[in-house]
Amino acid sequence: MSEPEGPDDPMLRAAIRELRRPVDLGPGVDARVLAELRREGAARRAWHWLTRPRTVRVSPLRAAGLAAAVAAVSVLVVTAVRQVTAPRAEPLAVGAAPPGEVAFVLAAPAADRVSLVGDFNDWNPDAAPLTRRANGVWETALPLPPGRYRYTFIVDGTRWVRDPTEPPALDDFGTPTSVITVARR
Amino acid sequence: MPRSPGLSYVSVTDADLVSRVRRGDLEAYAELMARYRPRLGRYAFCLLGNREDAEEVLQDTFIRAHRALARGDEPERVGAWLFRILVNRCRSRRARREPFDRTPAGTAALEQASVEHPWERESWRDEIRHALQQLPADQREAFLLKHVEELSYEEIAEMTGAGTSALKMRVKRACERLRGLLREVYRV
Repeated sequence: MSEPEGPDDPMLRAAIRELRRPVDLGPGVDARVLAELRREGAARRAWHWLTRPRTVRVSPLRAAGLAAAVAAVSVLVVTAVRQVTAPRAEPLAVGAAPPGEVAFVLAAPAADRVSLVGDFNDWNPDAAPLTRRANGVWETALPLPPGRYRYTFIVDGTRWVRDPTEPPALDDFGTPTSVITVARR
Repeated sequence: MPRSPGLSYVSVTDADLVSRVRRGDLEAYAELMARYRPRLGRYAFCLLGNREDAEEVLQDTFIRAHRALARGDEPERVGAWLFRILVNRCRSRRARREPFDRTPAGTAALEQASVEHPWERESWRDEIRHALQQLPADQREAFLLKHVEELSYEEIAEMTGAGTSALKMRVKRACERLRGLLREVYRV
């Protein structure tokens, strides 16, 4: 197909020149972004401070007491967890995900590689590669917070393939994407 | 992949900035945002048709990009990567919003305009933007990425998931429709 003839038209060329002028939305955007990033940074630093390893010196007698207390609490917690969770003897089925994660599955026997892109990983094709199983089914599982996400699979680096098991995205850009809604757990 | 002139100015300097950002330097990130804000803002504004949505999407894009860098992502070309995030955020936003609402001011200016040199009038820009919003979203996206952002079809395909043949057809139709709309407006 030849290049579009549009730009040969003087009025259209003038329109394109006009549209190419930068639209500076103003430094307010940057200021708001930096404020948000500073908030996130402060929260991250606080978390790191709380969770960083520390050297604690205690006397042998206190250490023995502390160890006994930790062991008692551990026994209680393990017993309680056993009472509320059913044992799972069999391996995960295709499409099943560990608790707290969402499974994504695509049957693509001829594919050499498949990745998952979406709102949750900023459409980065390197962020979530799928693993191939013996039957040509590709899968991965991601921890996703509750929300609505548009996503698609990228097969062999270039071809976008919509997830046939989820509803198509109701956008009007004509590309194959799906939508998944993760409910609160 | 052929690289368009539009994204080729991403240089070692960008890589240096990214390296500093990954070490927690927010000043470096501010510099990166200032570098790409005008161009990203232009695309968001042209595609979405209003400043408020464009600002919100741009803000969201920059925050997501920073989180990704903090996670350890190493984009090869920062500009192209930011654009990929923005394009998809615009798509998600577009799906949730009403179409562009034409302002009465633009209409009034048009009615008072002369026919001889319409592109010299202040309303020219408004009319172009209005005409742009009359295009189907897929055509508008392809037209902007090709002719305004000057990306190659291969780059657009990688960004949007559409095939190059489909993209060429969208751009062709967009050009025809835009030309028709602008001629109709100015009765050329």
